[in-house]
Amino acid sequence: MHSNKKKFVSLFTSSPLHDFLIPFKKAPNQWVARYIIIVFAIIVRCAVGLGSYSGFNTPFMFGDFEAQRHWLEITTKLPITKWYFYDLQYWGLDYPPLTAYHSWIFGMIGSWIDSTWFALDSSRGLENTDLKSYMRITVLISEIVCYIPAVLMYSKWMARYYNNASSIDQTIIAAAILFQPALIIIDHGHFQYNCVMLGLTLLSVVNLLYNKYALASIFFVLSLCFKQMALYYAPVIFCYMLSVCIWPLRVNFNLLRLISIGSSVIITFSIILFPFVYFGGFIQLKQILIRVFPFGRGIFEDKVANFWCSTNIIIKYRNIFNHDQLKLISLLLTLIGISPSCIAIFLKPKKNLIVWCLASCSLAFYLFSFQVHEKSILLPLMPITLLLNEVDPDVISMVCWICNISMFSMWPLLKKDQLELQYFVLGIMSNWLMGNLSWIRKTLQWMKIPVTAREMATPVLPHNLFWSMVIIGSYIAAGLLHFIEFIKPPPENLPDLWVIGNVVISFGCFSLFYLWTNYKIYQIANTKVKEN
Amino acid sequence: MVPKPLIKRSSSVNPDPQQKTQYNFSLWNIWVATTLLKILLYPAYHSTDFDVHRNWLSITSLLPVSDWYLENTNQWTLDYPPFFAYFEWFIGLFVPHVVVDDGCLELVDVGRYGHLTVYFQRSSVIVSEIVLFLALQRFINISRSLKEKKRNFVIASSIVLSPGLMIVDHIHFQYNGFLFGILILSITNAKTKNYLWCGFWFAVLLCFKHIFLYIAPAYFVFLFSAYCLNPLTIPKSTKELIGFIRWENLLKLGSVVIAVFVVAFAPFVYYGVLPQLLSRLFPFSRGLTHAYWAPNIWAVYSFMDRVLIQLVSKVPGFGEFVHLVFKLNISSESVNHTSSLTRGLVGDVQFSILPDIKPNHTFLLTVFYQAMSLIPLLVNPSFERFIASMTLCAWASFLFGWHVHEKAIMLVIIPFSFIVAQDRKLLPLFQILSASGYVSLFPLLFGSAEWLFKALFTFVWFVVFSTSFNEVSHFSTTLARRVFIIDRLNSLYIVALIPMCCFVQMLEIQSRNFEILQRLEFVRLMIYSMTCCIGVISSWNGFTWLYFLDDSIWVEKDD
Repeated sequence: MHSNKKKFVSLFTSSPLHDFLIPFKKAPNQWVARYIIIVFAIIVRCAVGLGSYSGFNTPFMFGDFEAQRHWLEITTKLPITKWYFYDLQYWGLDYPPLTAYHSWIFGMIGSWIDSTWFALDSSRGLENTDLKSYMRITVLISEIVCYIPAVLMYSKWMARYYNNASSIDQTIIAAAILFQPALIIIDHGHFQYNCVMLGLTLLSVVNLLYNKYALASIFFVLSLCFKQMALYYAPVIFCYMLSVCIWPLRVNFNLLRLISIGSSVIITFSIILFPFVYFGGFIQLKQILIRVFPFGRGIFEDKVANFWCSTNIIIKYRNIFNHDQLKLISLLLTLIGISPSCIAIFLKPKKNLIVWCLASCSLAFYLFSFQVHEKSILLPLMPITLLLNEVDPDVISMVCWICNISMFSMWPLLKKDQLELQYFVLGIMSNWLMGNLSWIRKTLQWMKIPVTAREMATPVLPHNLFWSMVIIGSYIAAGLLHFIEFIKPPPENLPDLWVIGNVVISFGCFSLFYLWTNYKIYQIANTKVKEN
Repeated sequence: MVPKPLIKRSSSVNPDPQQKTQYNFSLWNIWVATTLLKILLYPAYHSTDFDVHRNWLSITSLLPVSDWYLENTNQWTLDYPPFFAYFEWFIGLFVPHVVVDDGCLELVDVGRYGHLTVYFQRSSVIVSEIVLFLALQRFINISRSLKEKKRNFVIASSIVLSPGLMIVDHIHFQYNGFLFGILILSITNAKTKNYLWCGFWFAVLLCFKHIFLYIAPAYFVFLFSAYCLNPLTIPKSTKELIGFIRWENLLKLGSVVIAVFVVAFAPFVYYGVLPQLLSRLFPFSRGLTHAYWAPNIWAVYSFMDRVLIQLVSKVPGFGEFVHLVFKLNISSESVNHTSSLTRGLVGDVQFSILPDIKPNHTFLLTVFYQAMSLIPLLVNPSFERFIASMTLCAWASFLFGWHVHEKAIMLVIIPFSFIVAQDRKLLPLFQILSASGYVSLFPLLFGSAEWLFKALFTFVWFVVFSTSFNEVSHFSTTLARRVFIIDRLNSLYIVALIPMCCFVQMLEIQSRNFEILQRLEFVRLMIYSMTCCIGVISSWNGFTWLYFLDDSIWVEKDD
């Protein structure tokens, strides 16, 4: 295990990102480097936003873009009491209240610009360039406010207390995190506001790192109230907070801290829910719960790379168990899946363990829980991407690998959205920026591309032979699948064959990665590191 | 598959022993990054220039050479010089079948094509731009010291990352990148004193796009003076005067240039379409200014005319006053006819109060200012003088020329980039010029989708290269008094461009709610044009001042 005193050697020394930013190494120019990465992160998002979006030009239900636009419409044009009741068949609001408030604000601004964009009912299915630009900009603003500062703050904390990265290395790592392609393409291509929920959770984590528990719980509640999916993180956050309050029992049982956490959670929830209760009574709360947690739906809908969908090929669960049994089994499996991370963080509330446990826990939810979408991989992916701050090169290799696999696992969705171009470009861009493609340059040396030859280390594979084989194997399988899909349509009796291939490959990788995170958690939990 | 020993992370091998080589003076990374970004721009808006080039592609692919300049099914007829036509023909060789089926090569009055055609043509822009990267890499590689290399790297990267190229080539759609690549090949050869190659590449460039005639006088004088004249002494007799010219060099240079032109134009002379070709290249039927006024003198002139119209029609007695004092002829009818602010969007510009401008007026003014900048070059043909006078020639053409496009500002900014590091005093001028010049390109992309992209890209380019040029510029050798109030005004002006862009965008956004704003569409363009005018003209003033009065800048400097 690395000691904190060791001088930090940037793992991205041979990466283009490093080449771009190192000219701004001098202290007076540091701010330029930070602005460059932020502005370029935004520029790339703008460029992705020029492309298509979910449900583009597909009447009558369209897609996620229309859903979000519709929410802007109903929140601005209807009284608060009707938000969760209005025409539920057509993209009824099924996210928690903070999403509704968020929609309301942007809906008000948008209606001020053009009243037709969010006119009640008559604006359904509206598609024009200006509306699209406006919606894209709302996502950008949300991301600039929530997600980007959180990433920078996290990297700053890590540099100060954990990996001793220099200021410029810290910027480089933050850039690597910001250029993670999956979030970019879902939020700015497919169209969703995941960055808000992820950003709020990350802000909560940052506050945990700085020992600001009340703030951390406020941010986490906000995150939950934005998108119920933040529940994937809840067990770990809960266990950590509980642990730092009461563990070990006799030495530092901290009642005051426990009370402050509890009260800030309750107060935040009440403030957010208050308008609904005030205007509509408690029936509103019931309706919100029904809308937000749709237990009536099946165990999985589309093809998604989790346990249920992948093993369903062999075992037809729906024929063996009924709906309620399935719910129970999935609950049990999920509980088993999240237990290692929760127990570890409860027994050893170390700060460098938080992100690992978040990754493991949310991945367990993704793999085993009920009603998972392929986009849900963004949740485990957020803490996983934060692991780029680690100093162990093997970890970086694994993280880059799983980022690519997650991108790959969303391919069927992105293909449906006509985002193929963006998929490939972003995939190549993020890998190339982190230096994962420099081995190509090495093999192409005979071409004499005008590159000043430098000694390049090739950060693709970890040292462990098993993982190297897994990674290479999965890349080959994924590449082959893309190739076959390109040249040949699936056989007629099995129209989903390529999608199922995708699901199986991704599921294999995710579950192996899940096991690996648990192994790492065990390893880190049992290492003595001086707490800062 | 990659063997095991190769696959190590950097921290596990020893840290780079040569810690000093942290800087990598290769444009490769920038090329990859910008290419990826440009591919993301494929779905962006493209202008009618796209259909223009698509039409040329089909003309050159489908028709025999003799008909290239005669074909007029589409209103966008071929009006670039022959090499560009050959270039289009060459691209046409690579059009895949699916793209042909998509409508890429159809000779129709209005192109009907799908996204495959767009992807293909946009890719051809990206591929042809490699010329620019290679030319600039060569420019970096010929540097003699590390310091110079660093400086040249900053210059080169400022050009390849130029928001102008991003906006004009990769969104609006044109092929400027590789044309500037050829210009830079020529400039590099001028720097290494390979004058024949310098002349050769410039002749090639002229046969690609004749807008480079703007800077041809500087080339002519530079090559003549540096290559074809003996070092300047005052000739005492006729014999000396004849010996003063190096006839052999003159002959070599002349034959090279003429050979290029012969290759370009011979087929058209052979088919007897040369007059038709020339009439396509130099259409004098267009108006003084474009629909959107490029930020030059004529924009100011037109603006003053508009202001006077308003004054005459609104202030009683003002018309008589103007008539009495300036002897200007004001027919109330023309004032009424033209008082609408939307006028000027289309067609010929006629001034109502100020005297009309004829092509020969603009021609005389341009030639005068160009000639002024050429005199010092004739006396002292140094590389720095050459670039400076090239900049001034382009500037004069931009400011005073007939029917100037806003895109022509690139012809000023790019040569200027090569000398900005000469002296700190040039930096503020360059900042103002590049800021106002690139901002003046914004109206090319009027859609809301690209607004944030173009604004942010220009902003970050400006911040990065202001910092970088500041770091690599030579300090002033003369201890000139710097007028701080002017420096402050410069910064103020540049910062003020941001609220200006936002304000105009707000006007546009609100124009859907208020009908009055819709009718004022021309005002938005006028705000852009006038604001940028201030920058372009004041920067030109400063530059001219330094060009004529500060000789210490225009010599080769040691590090």
